[in-house]
Amino acid sequence: MPIGPLEYCRRWWLQLIVGLTFVLLYAPIVTLVAFSFNNSRRNIVWRGFTFDYYVKAWHNQSLFDAFVNSLTIAIVNTAVSTILGVMAALLLWRFRFPGKAAFEGFSALPIVIPEICMGVAMMAFFARIGWPTGLPWPLNLSNITIAHIAFSFPFVAVIVRGRLIGFNRELEDASKDLGAGEWQTLRYIVLPYLRPGIVAGALIAFTLSLDDFVITFFTSGPDTITLPVKIFSMVRFSVTPEVNAASTVLIVITVIATVAATRMQAPARRGSPGGG
Amino acid sequence: MENWRKNPVVFWLLGIPPSLWLILFFLIPLGIVWFISFGEKRGIVDIAITGTLDNYARALQPLYLQIFWKSIWMAGAATVICLIVGYPVAFAIAFAPERWKIWLMLAVILPFWINILIRTYALIAVFRTRGFANFTLEWLWEKGDWLLAAVGLGEYHLLGERFSPLTMLYNNFAVSMGIVYAFLPFMILPLYANIEKLDRSYMEASLDLGAGHWRTFVSVVFPLTWHGALSGIIIVFIPALGAFFIPELLGGTDSQLIGNVIERQFKAANDWPFGGALSFLLMYATFGALALRAALVGRGKVLEA
Amino acid sequence: MTQRRRTGYTRRTFLAGTGAVAAGLSFHPKLTWAAEEPKLSFYNWDTYIGETTLDDFKDATGIEATMDLFADNDELFAKLKEGNPGYDVIVPTNDFVERMIGAEMLLPLDHSKIPNFKNVGKAFRDAAFDPGRQHSMPYMWGTIGIGYRKSKVNGTPDSWKALLDSDEYSGRIALLGDAQAVIGSTLKYLGHSFNSTNPDEIAKAEALLIKQKPHIKVFADDNGQDLLLSGEVDLTMEWNGDILQVIDEDDDLSFVVPKEGGELWQDCLAIPNGAPHPDNAHKFINFILDAEVGAAVADFIQYATPNEAAKKLMPPEYVNNPAIFPSDEVIARCEPPLYRGETAIQLYDAAWTRIQAA
Repeated sequence: MPIGPLEYCRRWWLQLIVGLTFVLLYAPIVTLVAFSFNNSRRNIVWRGFTFDYYVKAWHNQSLFDAFVNSLTIAIVNTAVSTILGVMAALLLWRFRFPGKAAFEGFSALPIVIPEICMGVAMMAFFARIGWPTGLPWPLNLSNITIAHIAFSFPFVAVIVRGRLIGFNRELEDASKDLGAGEWQTLRYIVLPYLRPGIVAGALIAFTLSLDDFVITFFTSGPDTITLPVKIFSMVRFSVTPEVNAASTVLIVITVIATVAATRMQAPARRGSPGGG
Repeated sequence: MENWRKNPVVFWLLGIPPSLWLILFFLIPLGIVWFISFGEKRGIVDIAITGTLDNYARALQPLYLQIFWKSIWMAGAATVICLIVGYPVAFAIAFAPERWKIWLMLAVILPFWINILIRTYALIAVFRTRGFANFTLEWLWEKGDWLLAAVGLGEYHLLGERFSPLTMLYNNFAVSMGIVYAFLPFMILPLYANIEKLDRSYMEASLDLGAGHWRTFVSVVFPLTWHGALSGIIIVFIPALGAFFIPELLGGTDSQLIGNVIERQFKAANDWPFGGALSFLLMYATFGALALRAALVGRGKVLEA
Repeated sequence: MTQRRRTGYTRRTFLAGTGAVAAGLSFHPKLTWAAEEPKLSFYNWDTYIGETTLDDFKDATGIEATMDLFADNDELFAKLKEGNPGYDVIVPTNDFVERMIGAEMLLPLDHSKIPNFKNVGKAFRDAAFDPGRQHSMPYMWGTIGIGYRKSKVNGTPDSWKALLDSDEYSGRIALLGDAQAVIGSTLKYLGHSFNSTNPDEIAKAEALLIKQKPHIKVFADDNGQDLLLSGEVDLTMEWNGDILQVIDEDDDLSFVVPKEGGELWQDCLAIPNGAPHPDNAHKFINFILDAEVGAAVADFIQYATPNEAAKKLMPPEYVNNPAIFPSDEVIARCEPPLYRGETAIQLYDAAWTRIQAA
């Protein structure tokens, strides 16, 4: 079948570029997974195949706790940040109000600020207002989560705004003319259009949270170790295959979760308004 | 865009939660550090807010300005590379058949759910002197050498006497690559969101009228999607400026960026006022970049819906 | 209808409300009247404890200890500077002990609760940085020296010159990423004190390092030993224990303390102010100082123990290993890092920034 003018994916040069990019992107990952089976404590040279480190990682209670903490924070962060980010984006897109430029500027600050500055600021803040420590799980993760949300939702807002710029307001007006209320218009017209932007934003919020080290380090305390912080201190002595093993497990879980989420989402994806 | 008074309920409903969060959990903590930057150290942990500008004066010395400039340069280079690499990938995802879209997106995002520290160490394993990239290159070199020998050009040693591994680590190249590797999805996602909603008929019309693909891209696609590119650039360039982690792990002796200096002030040097001054200067500079962006977007209002 | 709603706040609901609040408050840890709960929060370097020490502690005392990790002293200090987020026992290095005492961040120790102090070797019973050991107990000690690959190096590099002043091994050298360690060692090489605060001497050290920079491959924070093992560099400035761990995997590697001397550090156990369980903390420190427990820890992490009683229980390969227990004359050449005040720290940092930027 001859290639259509817009079927870029079937053109060899795009396939080559994208293929090469993916190879470079995944080469370190593949190395990582391969070395998780390495029978050597220091993990520099290959010394033989073993599952030992998977067993070790499984029994490593603090690693496991750190992982659970990271995941919890990331999930809560994604949920709240996405909501706040969409709200902020809608606000800026829709309304004129005094001080709008200032609001835009301030909401862009979390993106601009050096992470360490924000980490220190959050630490000083929580200490000075006497945020309770020693709360039961998961409440003791609250200050980390709050800090994460504070720096995540502006990212979501920026991405959703990018998507909103192309939205045809006449669709919104038409919906209102036909008698839909604000909420209905939002729900049935605007949000479906925004969905790629929201998904992109949510993915970024999740990634930012799971990966974050600096800000988490400064806002965490005893019992609230997260995975990046734990790994950073483990790495002081060397990246043992244990850490690789834990990461591999994390990847596998993530893949399974996303595949499941995609399968559940697929039927609803037909017929989204506003182009797709 | 309507005036907020037309619909105050919706306005406040949308506006209060994000504003509250911003003020309480971001601006106030930042304010504390801002005050500290005008302070002096008194003893080991105490800081007295004296309203002094000494810290800022110190931060504007040539030593630090030079480091600032280097950071801007490095982050900028990495951002441009991200843009060049990101556009084709975003394009590919946007134009992929429906079924593949989510998988391709997943394939892009997946590496970035792995902790960046581990990935950087994995990068080291690939790029170091006895790493896989060099192993591959060495293998290729051997094959090339053998080929040349077979053709009879052996004694000219066209590929060199011996394979010398490339130093791809512990230098500025490694730091740039590290930044690209870390921030690539942040470029791809906004680009994708923008390309995806592009009206294909514009492109078809351009192609019909005889323009080649490249011309179509330059004259039609890029002007319509550059908002996404701008978002991506902002999301990549600015955090890259403040990164201290990647130069620390991948850089050589020459790779001190402003992020490293700031990090040291808050930790080893225990000089919070100076660290605060440096971070705020960094922020003012990038704030200027944002203002520039607002001005650019303002001028391009015809492209807004 | 609205009237009934207003009277919905009956006395019953009010009492129920206060009851719920009171019940909730009673779960708040700060309001319990009972004695310290059997918990302990230990803030330590990674893998810097025996394999089963924490479990053994629980078996012996019933106190459950959790261990959190930090990567270096600066992190520890930065974390505790604004107030203790809930740690009971911490492990600072000697100069940081001094600094924290100066900042009043450490709780004075009650020696009556630490009878195992008698196990500590004479040399460690007192310390210049903590007179009378009022605030800290010794945990481990060691040196910083040169780790090197025997087959790639001529003879034994017994001087800092190979790393700091010569291009013989250009591009195959790694130094530590810590300002004090590197500048201090350079000062030792130049014949000055490790802790000098003389700006001229520091300037000389800075000039030497800037001159040497093109030959240095990388300033490796924590992974110098890995670079050595993987063949990325042939000489590195590193802690003795780190090099010992890689010697295990590759016996082409070796360790030596240069003849000019290096840093002699001591990690200590201390209780930060505001610790929620100071009593348990004392029990924990006492437990670590026990002979058998100390021996188990030393055996696992392969650093030198200041605990004489524990040392007696260790095998000869450990006791006689010069990399773990250097001879007295080596020790005489080395100097402990001292805390010289905030201005000194800033002086070092400014020099370090200039070195890095050159």
